[in-house]
Amino acid sequence: MSNFGLLLDGFAVALTTHHILIMVAGVLLGLVVGVLPGLGAPNGVSLLLPLTFTMDPVSAIILLTSMYWGALFGGSTTSILFNIPGEPSSVATTFDGYPMARQGQAVRALTLAFSSAGIGALTGVIVITLLSGWVANFALRFGAAEYFAVYFMAFASFIGMSSGSPFKTLVSMMLGFACSAIGADTISGESRLTFEFDALIGGISFLVAVIGLFGLGELIMTMEENLEFHGVKAKLSLREIFKTVAEVPRYWATVLRSALIGCWMGITPGGPTAASFMSYAIGRRFAKNGNRFGKGEPEGIVAPETADHSAGSCALLPMLALGIPGSATAAVMMGGLMIWGLAPGPMLFTTRPDFVWGLIASMYLGNIIAVILVLATVPMFAYILRAPFRIVGPMITVVCMIGAYTVASHTFDIWLALLFGVAGYVFKKLDYPLAPFVLAMVLGDKAEDAFRQAMLTSNGSASIFWSNGLVGTMMALGIILLFLPLISKLLSKAGIGFRRKALPPQSEVGSV
Amino acid sequence: MTVNSLKLAALTAAATLAIAAPAAAEWKPERPIEFVAAAGPGGGTDTFARVVQSALSKGNLLSDPIIVSNKAGGSGAETFIYAKTSGGDPYKLFFGTQDAYVLPLANKLSYSLNDLEPVAAMTFDPFILWVNPKSSGIEDVKGFIAKAKEAPGTIKVGGAKAKEADETLTTLIEKSAGIDLSYIPYKSGSEAAVQVAGGHIQANVNNPSESVEQWKAGVQKPLCVFEETRLTDTTIIADGQSWNSIPTCQEAGIAVKSFAQPRTIWAAKGIPADALAYYTELFKKVAQTEEFKGYMTRGAQIPRTLTGAEFKAFIDQHKVAYSGYYKDNGWLKTAD
Amino acid sequence: MEISRRTSEIATSVITALLGAIVCYGALENGITWDDSGPRPGYFPFYVGCLIILGSAVIGGQALLRPAESKPPFLDAERARSVVLFFLPIVAFAAISAWLGLYIGMAIYIFYAMYVPGKLKLATSIAAALAVAVINFVVFEKLFMVPLLKGPVLNYFGIY
Repeated sequence: MSNFGLLLDGFAVALTTHHILIMVAGVLLGLVVGVLPGLGAPNGVSLLLPLTFTMDPVSAIILLTSMYWGALFGGSTTSILFNIPGEPSSVATTFDGYPMARQGQAVRALTLAFSSAGIGALTGVIVITLLSGWVANFALRFGAAEYFAVYFMAFASFIGMSSGSPFKTLVSMMLGFACSAIGADTISGESRLTFEFDALIGGISFLVAVIGLFGLGELIMTMEENLEFHGVKAKLSLREIFKTVAEVPRYWATVLRSALIGCWMGITPGGPTAASFMSYAIGRRFAKNGNRFGKGEPEGIVAPETADHSAGSCALLPMLALGIPGSATAAVMMGGLMIWGLAPGPMLFTTRPDFVWGLIASMYLGNIIAVILVLATVPMFAYILRAPFRIVGPMITVVCMIGAYTVASHTFDIWLALLFGVAGYVFKKLDYPLAPFVLAMVLGDKAEDAFRQAMLTSNGSASIFWSNGLVGTMMALGIILLFLPLISKLLSKAGIGFRRKALPPQSEVGSV
Repeated sequence: MTVNSLKLAALTAAATLAIAAPAAAEWKPERPIEFVAAAGPGGGTDTFARVVQSALSKGNLLSDPIIVSNKAGGSGAETFIYAKTSGGDPYKLFFGTQDAYVLPLANKLSYSLNDLEPVAAMTFDPFILWVNPKSSGIEDVKGFIAKAKEAPGTIKVGGAKAKEADETLTTLIEKSAGIDLSYIPYKSGSEAAVQVAGGHIQANVNNPSESVEQWKAGVQKPLCVFEETRLTDTTIIADGQSWNSIPTCQEAGIAVKSFAQPRTIWAAKGIPADALAYYTELFKKVAQTEEFKGYMTRGAQIPRTLTGAEFKAFIDQHKVAYSGYYKDNGWLKTAD
Repeated sequence: MEISRRTSEIATSVITALLGAIVCYGALENGITWDDSGPRPGYFPFYVGCLIILGSAVIGGQALLRPAESKPPFLDAERARSVVLFFLPIVAFAAISAWLGLYIGMAIYIFYAMYVPGKLKLATSIAAALAVAVINFVVFEKLFMVPLLKGPVLNYFGIY
């Protein structure tokens, strides 16, 4: 097949000492920005962009993408160690990663996360290699109605799986929707819920909310319980890391399922965040120990990490082929492409095959390098946890405050983060699940825009959501996911063993 | 120690400045300059700011580092509110389009044009009407108008954001051709272009650069350009056509004259006069760099740089034109 | 001082219900109807607000009707004390940062946290505070060129 030949050419481009060095530098820098919650992949890209002005485009994109992989891995690190997700897509990793780290298994949690992330990323790249032409055309079939259907599926899978008080889930999710509605409305151009405060005109940043809810909220919680971080009891040896890597194949079913969900959500416009949440929710239902999710279950780390990274890799394809950036980082990279004189779009594959396939080859190599480097940093991170909490706690506080400020350079955001910190603490104590809030805040306004665009396209007729096979199937799947718990309950009552276990009522997603 | 040496350095710097200031009237930047783009990463204004940054560094026009940041909230209003609170800071420059003076027309915002000091309009982006020739069956402006008259409201025109340039232009098309279209706002112009390419909507209005790749791939076709004269570039792009082959909308049957979008740079009101003079000269030089010329060619832009009084006159005239459009559409904010 | 779980449930639901009411009120300004081209901008926020009120009402109602207190209290005196002692300095940190900039804010906060609750030596605490501020300064201002809030004092010394 021709794609394979092209890929080999790509490797010839990527596999030079010069490019490998660039990859290592990029990954290391990415790790740094990923670990610091105030900085993220977009900062790294903005920082590197001026350097790339004088580079040739292939080296430049390799540098930027390697930085991107590094940042993705770095983001998972803080999620697991401090419950502070560096990127929206690593929120779901905190649900089981942080409890596991608290139980003294930080090394295992990090290793699990990194190795499954690596597998996810490689799966994504393989899908790109095999299906590049098809994927680009497939993404074109997504109009507003299809976009809405994808978001609907993500919400449905999550609502259907959550347990605990349905009213607390409702309140939490609706508060998330309300937060996402603040700011300028895309469809009408009007400001909503800003009450004429300048500070609210840009909306509430998701990262500020997460830093408060998860980071500061967790710190207060830990303080109250007078708990210490039980960092690492196990010996810090390479053996521990290798043992955990060897453990991963045991979760092959979860890995496979999550990689599929990730690729699907990456190709469709759902994106990595929706993918990781959906994979976590579905994993919770179908994994062997699903009922232990939220308490430090390995598969609870594997599921979101695999999906996050396979979606992240797959999402680069629509960016190159269609010019739709899937994330802020992709958007900055796209800006870079234009400055280098390349235009992302359907013709890029024919006009600059060396660039496209060099990039795809570098995605294989970059991810492998990233996994190796990041595994090497595990002992260092685990070491931080050995310091007593009364010392580490204030340091994390400083990091949270800087993080809240750097998101948009607003002093107001510092106060907002404190407010979210209190809310996160109270919500956790009272068993309000936080995950629905986060999901609604990330996808809420996108889902609403898509819905209203679809309505404008169809002149107000809801039939657009059943107008073709693709959107109809996705809507139907969404409805099935929504009612799955109910259906399986009914089926098991009727004596058909559809799927074991009903979830125990008190296990909350995300109430860790 | 570090603090002490910093203090020392600061004092020395202050002392030198005090001695040097009366002698040399010329202002020069001495620390990093922040470029604030009134658009999200990857948006048109963001690319504009980064191209200027790249032109400055490649051409060695400026040795101080430049930090590009994005304040896209409230359709970019956040940037100009930030300008208002920057109190004449000569180390902050604000990048936008006509949004700087158009946004306050329709929205209750805490800044006005009086809070900004115009520096330059670097170039102008023309607008083009695009269709998807395959899924819509439209090949030219005549066909477009005929189709719209046949079934009013069924042609969906996509564009970036609501009540801004793209939607304004759509209403101008409707009025001058006497047709009825329905406008659908997306987050960005490229998103709208992809929707046209996928055949989900029939047409969009756009800057050339946002759709050129789709044109090459045959999923979008330019119908006409909203300028008084044709674009000058005669390099063949697709189907044996160049930018120059696209008729102006006036000759094709839509009587909308020039609707170009300026790429503008602003400073905070109260910036020292010599700093303003410095930047004005600097950006005049930027407009002559190969880097910036390449950007203008890629975007099929109209290379026209305005500064000083010329730019101010343009702003006045452009603002009046937009007020007129907004008034006709009933978009002007009510209370004022 | 002890806050029972019941009280805290009721208080939280009252606050969320209030938030819901604010959302509903804000949405009214944007039009909450569904016209022929789909929902107006306030439509979704309005019903989101309504659902928040509804959910809060049920949660509050359940807590009110629940007879005896079976669960452990929300917060007892000792825990409340440690929470307040941890949280108030953070509020002070935020206030100082908003006024004098983040670097001064973090230095004072770290010094306090290391010296008072952290029980470190005076010299060590001062060193830690300076180290944190300087390291962050170098990382953010110099390496990544992300300017943090500086405030009048640093500006006075020529640091912008």
